[in-house]
Amino acid sequence: MLEAVLTGAVAGGTSILFPVVGETFTERSGVINLGTEGSMLAGALTAYIVGIESGSVWLGALAGAVAGAALALVHAFMVLTRGANQIATGLVVTFLGIGLTALFGQDYVGQGVNAFAAVPIPVLSDIPFIGPILFNHDPLTYIAIISGPLAWLVLFRTRFGLMVRAAGERPEVLVAYGMSATQIRYLATVLGGSLAGIGGAQLSTAFTLNWSENMTVGRGFVAVSLVIFAAWDPLKAIIGAYLFSGAIALQLQLQARGTDVSQYLLQAVPYLTVIVILAALSRHRAHDAPESLSRVF
Amino acid sequence: MTAVPDAIVEQDVEQQSGPSDAAPAPAGTPAPDDSRRSRLHVGPIAGVIRWTLALGAALLIYAAFLAARGADPVEALRAMWDSAFGDSTGLGETLIRTAPLLLGALAVVVPARAGLFNIGGQGQMVMGAIGAVGMSFALDGNVAQPVTLVLVGLAGAAAGAAWSAIPALLRLTTNANEAITSLLLNYVAGLVLSWLVFERWKDPASLGQAFSEELDAKSRLPILWGERVHSGILLAVLAAFVIWWLLRSTAWGFRLGVLGGNPEAARRAGFRVEGLALAAMLVGGALAGVAGMVEVTGVEARLRPDMLAGYGYIAFLASWLARHHPLKSIVSSMALAAIAVGGFGLKISAGLSGAAVNVLMALVLLAVLGFARKKEV
Repeated sequence: MLEAVLTGAVAGGTSILFPVVGETFTERSGVINLGTEGSMLAGALTAYIVGIESGSVWLGALAGAVAGAALALVHAFMVLTRGANQIATGLVVTFLGIGLTALFGQDYVGQGVNAFAAVPIPVLSDIPFIGPILFNHDPLTYIAIISGPLAWLVLFRTRFGLMVRAAGERPEVLVAYGMSATQIRYLATVLGGSLAGIGGAQLSTAFTLNWSENMTVGRGFVAVSLVIFAAWDPLKAIIGAYLFSGAIALQLQLQARGTDVSQYLLQAVPYLTVIVILAALSRHRAHDAPESLSRVF
Repeated sequence: MTAVPDAIVEQDVEQQSGPSDAAPAPAGTPAPDDSRRSRLHVGPIAGVIRWTLALGAALLIYAAFLAARGADPVEALRAMWDSAFGDSTGLGETLIRTAPLLLGALAVVVPARAGLFNIGGQGQMVMGAIGAVGMSFALDGNVAQPVTLVLVGLAGAAAGAAWSAIPALLRLTTNANEAITSLLLNYVAGLVLSWLVFERWKDPASLGQAFSEELDAKSRLPILWGERVHSGILLAVLAAFVIWWLLRSTAWGFRLGVLGGNPEAARRAGFRVEGLALAAMLVGGALAGVAGMVEVTGVEARLRPDMLAGYGYIAFLASWLARHHPLKSIVSSMALAAIAVGGFGLKISAGLSGAAVNVLMALVLLAVLGFARKKEV
């Protein structure tokens, strides 16, 4: 059972990890995007459709990234150029994503999927216990695991990362260097949206293997919460994502094995886990937050 | 680089904003370097024009989406209009929807006055409906109808308030952000509803479709007009006026405003800041709970798994559409209710998903948040 739970946690964590890493960039630059949920939905449907129509799952994932980025661009424009409230705009963008995917996804409900196949890694996947848990997944899952350390490198070891962090902490420094915090925030928000889109793509074309209205059921909002848990650190984001997906996988395994507890109440456990984590860590996290973020949030 | 320092941009926007404080630029004045901004110096008429343009653009984009989906946009929009306002039935449906949306919008308005985001209206509504049904089951038709309705309403309010107390207390004790926790609790509330409907309170007579047993006649809101329009709309409008009066004319409302505007000032003035914030969230949760009670006792008469779906979020939008003004919320809730009812028309005439109307709501909100109002900070 442990093996099944952990395998499920790794496969299910991918769709959370991408948006958490993406939202980490966005929030580091000083923008909070509750539209992440909408970007995930847009990515999930677009990848699903493009995957079927083009016959290429990779093209689908790419299209999912573009769709997620497009919604994030709406958020960025509203918030950065038009000065709209970040929380309200994020929710409206999610609402837009729910509506658009309902409108355009209707004909694809219950249709066959062009799915990512599992790619077992030679030799490593044969290791007992660890092999199936870590090394027998769809390619996007491997990319997600790598994306954590990669994002850390970009954020803390590159010029771009420095600019993102400066935009979030001390925008006036950027100004002094003749750069615009707004431009950096645009980039970071769109990057976050595209990663959320890929997360959605993995959800529909590599994990649940179907499309249904509102299928992300709050994963995007959970991702935004986990960024706080991870203290805006992409490495800790990995832990957060797998904690949430682990709770889901455990709940599914318990259901499959038949428990006395209602499946509906079990399904609430992952959300409650996130709330408890937030409660336990929030005071601690207050000074880790990017300076500009605490002004809007 | 063409970068403009943020501080300067912000100053600019302060100056341009609002129909009330801006003098119309005399004709022939040479345009300042940034012509886009200068056009935004608006008088009252220009303000109306901006609203019209923003809403018109939202409609146009929506029509474009419908066309891209292969539907005839003119036909689809007419179907939406007809089903919301076309006849007395449509108007009635719009009023029926307005009641929970208005109460849900007020549930956002009150905490917002104290500077808090209540995005948990959805869950609070669901819990309110559950509390109301629970009370009705407990009374079991043994009490006179007026008393029953008051008790059922109080149970709904209490359940909604209890659900909103969770994010409020977490905020006050652990500093966990109330916007995020209240949002996540919506999913938990939805699952509690599923549990009750599919298992705990499942009506044995419900075979394929799960629902709870029907409420007895004493727990039903009196019908006001026609066959379906119930008195919930009166309750909701009354609540809007009460909240308006509370926020505008009482010391409590004044303190909430100070807290929302400047928490530090509120603290130095000696207000009990924690108590005020908690009270604001509880009042919000209670209003949302009553919204759930109104829906279940006025329309549904039983719990169903997909009842109230999305209402809390639409109510959140209604509150923002009204700029958190209690009386303007009446109009904004009605407008969004009409769009929601229009979704039925869209479904029947064009065969499009009912959720597609969310696109129009979102576009209207984007237009209003970003283009038809002054910048907020």
